Amino acid sequence: MATKSGNATALTVLSPIKNGIMDDLSFADITRERCLRLPIHEKSPIARVPNTYLARLFVLDDVVYESLPGSDSVFNFSDITSFFSDTARKDALPRKDRLQSKYLVFSSNFYGDLDAYLTGVWEKWAYDDYGIQRDVRYIWEHCVAFDQVNDCSDFIGYIKKCQLDASLFFNGSTDDSLQEQLKSLYLKQEFTRFVVAHQGKSAAEIQQDFKEFVKRVQPENLNGPSWQPGQSMP
Amino acid sequence: MSNIAGKAYAMNVITPIRWYKVWINRLIFKIALSKPSTLKGLVTLSLIHYARWVIIPRDGFPHLDSSQPKENLNYAYMLFFSNFNGSWDQYVDSFTFAIPAGLDLFWKWNVRYPKSVPLSPFHKYIRHNQIDTSHYYNAYPMAASNDVKSAKKLKQALINFNAESASKTSEEFLADYNRLLNYLQHDFGEMRATPIVSLAAHAVKERYLKSHAAH
Repeated sequence: MATKSGNATALTVLSPIKNGIMDDLSFADITRERCLRLPIHEKSPIARVPNTYLARLFVLDDVVYESLPGSDSVFNFSDITSFFSDTARKDALPRKDRLQSKYLVFSSNFYGDLDAYLTGVWEKWAYDDYGIQRDVRYIWEHCVAFDQVNDCSDFIGYIKKCQLDASLFFNGSTDDSLQEQLKSLYLKQEFTRFVVAHQGKSAAEIQQDFKEFVKRVQPENLNGPSWQPGQSMP
Repeated sequence: MSNIAGKAYAMNVITPIRWYKVWINRLIFKIALSKPSTLKGLVTLSLIHYARWVIIPRDGFPHLDSSQPKENLNYAYMLFFSNFNGSWDQYVDSFTFAIPAGLDLFWKWNVRYPKSVPLSPFHKYIRHNQIDTSHYYNAYPMAASNDVKSAKKLKQALINFNAESASKTSEEFLADYNRLLNYLQHDFGEMRATPIVSLAAHAVKERYLKSHAAH
């Protein structure tokens, strides 16, 4: 299983959405609209879920038909045989697949263990939806069998049923916890500013200011000053 | 639609693969996993945060309840999800130019994959099979993947420097400080909100600022 790479986990979830409509809108469209309405960056509900590096939501309406011309050798050969009959050429065309359900896709790259992470999703996922407080159930509400999810352990079980293993997961990042990464980014930002502001200053002045700088930024204290998850402005 | 969150772009590509070729793809991924040197090309594409390939067999779509109709598919499907910095064209082109052979190895078992070279048919193929993201979250929208990596190096160097040099005489401190700056010269850089990379992203940002002001 390649769902893990170092300490990072690739969670891929496809939750089938009920076929049906409510108030002239399909459940899939309602779900999509709810995803689109989610506040972004630091206000995203995912910003509250501990250890999420990057995550996304979308609705998979259907699979894609390969209608574009290809470089298939069988297909090219059937071009010649079509002089006699069109059957070979038609047979060489890709088949058309249609999904029977639409799927809510949740894909997350996070640090650590799946159960602890999903507990965080269940407990921390909260956001302000234009004045109304919502939790994670609002996004999954119209998915098949989600009405049987009543508590955190039900939710973990449900997501695991919808989970797909990755065949290959590439981790191009540092493999540190999110807290560690955010602290490092904060230090990079602050130290860059310090260095620019102290160009050409005397040794004694830089040394004195550096001591105060270290006191302020607390490089080794992960719970000290840092960037917030999803922080979009300096 | 929001494929962009700060400096990161979310790409979702779904492509059919003939069911009897799935094992070949799986084997290639397995070899790639067991021999990290095969992923060297991907590592050189330092604009990638995380990427994954997921193969769904014909009968592999989650089925949760008898009320849900069963899928009846001709093909298995390969999902590719990537998180990278920069624009769509930069990303797709960098794949083509940096690791065309590796790319072909991963995708050539997929129906009507045109190969990564020449560019135009490959662009068309990716665009044809790409699905837009509805909500994209990035824990550090102001940072590129290279910022995350350089910040790690900077943090450690800063901690070491503080431990070793902070209490030295001023002259010795300055000499060590200059050495530190020299060592970190490629790792500095102030990070800010991303410039406008697309009108769609700009519209999302405007809406966001408006909702910020409203609450």
